[in-house]
Amino acid sequence: MVRGAMNTLVVLALFAGPSSGAAEAPATQATVINPPPGAADWAALAKLPDWSGVWTPFISDQNRRIKADPVPWRPEVAEQVKALEAEEHAGRPKGLFADCLPEGMPSWMLISHNAMEFLFTPGRISILGEMDANRLRRIYTDGRAHPPDPDPSFHGHSIGRWEGQTLVVDTVAVLPESYLAVSEAVGIPNNGDLHVVERFHLSEKDVLHDDLEITAPRILTRTWKTTRIWFRQRARKYDIVEGVCLQGFYAERKDARGNAVFVPIPHADGNPVPESVKSTP
Amino acid sequence: MSPLLRFLAFAGIVGVVLTALPADAHHSFAMFDFTRTVTIHGTVKEFQWTNPHVVLWVNVPGKDPQKPDVWWLEMTSPGNLTRGGWNRKVLNTDDKVEVDLNPLRNGNLGGALIKVKNETTGQTYSTDLRDMERPGLH
Repeated sequence: MVRGAMNTLVVLALFAGPSSGAAEAPATQATVINPPPGAADWAALAKLPDWSGVWTPFISDQNRRIKADPVPWRPEVAEQVKALEAEEHAGRPKGLFADCLPEGMPSWMLISHNAMEFLFTPGRISILGEMDANRLRRIYTDGRAHPPDPDPSFHGHSIGRWEGQTLVVDTVAVLPESYLAVSEAVGIPNNGDLHVVERFHLSEKDVLHDDLEITAPRILTRTWKTTRIWFRQRARKYDIVEGVCLQGFYAERKDARGNAVFVPIPHADGNPVPESVKSTP
Repeated sequence: MSPLLRFLAFAGIVGVVLTALPADAHHSFAMFDFTRTVTIHGTVKEFQWTNPHVVLWVNVPGKDPQKPDVWWLEMTSPGNLTRGGWNRKVLNTDDKVEVDLNPLRNGNLGGALIKVKNETTGQTYSTDLRDMERPGLH
């Protein structure tokens, strides 16, 4: 553990409305999150495994795992998946992520073609990635629990703990619209109640495994277990770069006053219209 | 018959099949026909070094002597291409290029770029992400 036991603070909240004059003082318990780190907290980071550098997904293995670890879709969902696969094979892929909304959880871990990096700071691990207008997962390792009713988000609420050299991450509160995708064209919204448990660990010096257990009762018949592999850029010559998905919809042009501006690239029939890049505003 | 003419003849036969997604967005590449390779020769109209897919626009002489055909060619992201040895200046407007591509299945002038030779600089660049999976390469 990076941090010690969860810090708590009992907060007495006084509700003394001017009209009621009530003197009752109900006590509520609040967790202090993000406490200021001390020297010991920073020193503890040095004992964690070295996950520095840029990690690239093992794309060939992603494709292999879909066949090796088939997704236990519910029967009615399997029909939808079959239809999506048929469309993709026919050259008419559904653009699950063509709107440039985040791949989110668990799809980022399952199908990404883009690199990521880990940041270790006291009480938290952050995973940063390219694409989606810059991906970010915040994994709290300060001993906190999930909030009782967190707002759903694309990446959910994640808490983590170290079991030896393995980081165990528990994620809830993912938006029901977030896909469980097996490719960029085949996936189903999790539809709610998604729970993901991950075990990140090095299988060798430059190879990271994410062992996933995905529970999605609205679309799966049972918990789906699979693994995704990432390998470290061995030469350490590259950084993660900014990746703003929507940028691809715009051409870099100059306006009438000479300002550098983005100009939308019109699309027709789903494809960009080449002639459009000639025009200036 | 040149590959381009063969392709155009093929495109004329199959007609236009519409796809329903913006091609610049983050998408599956299934709209490209990976069973066929087409080679085109032209000049760079624009090299669009942006996420999520870098796009090369190429002017290719066509039927109209006054107006070249414009092909758009998609690649992976700037981050991935950088790790494959590219940068945003390897192709510049008006550079002469030879491009190998997997064409759009719908017959439009576009495709997934496999390899581009910049005949102005003599350099060749390929786009296979899986190249990065070879042990020791990076």
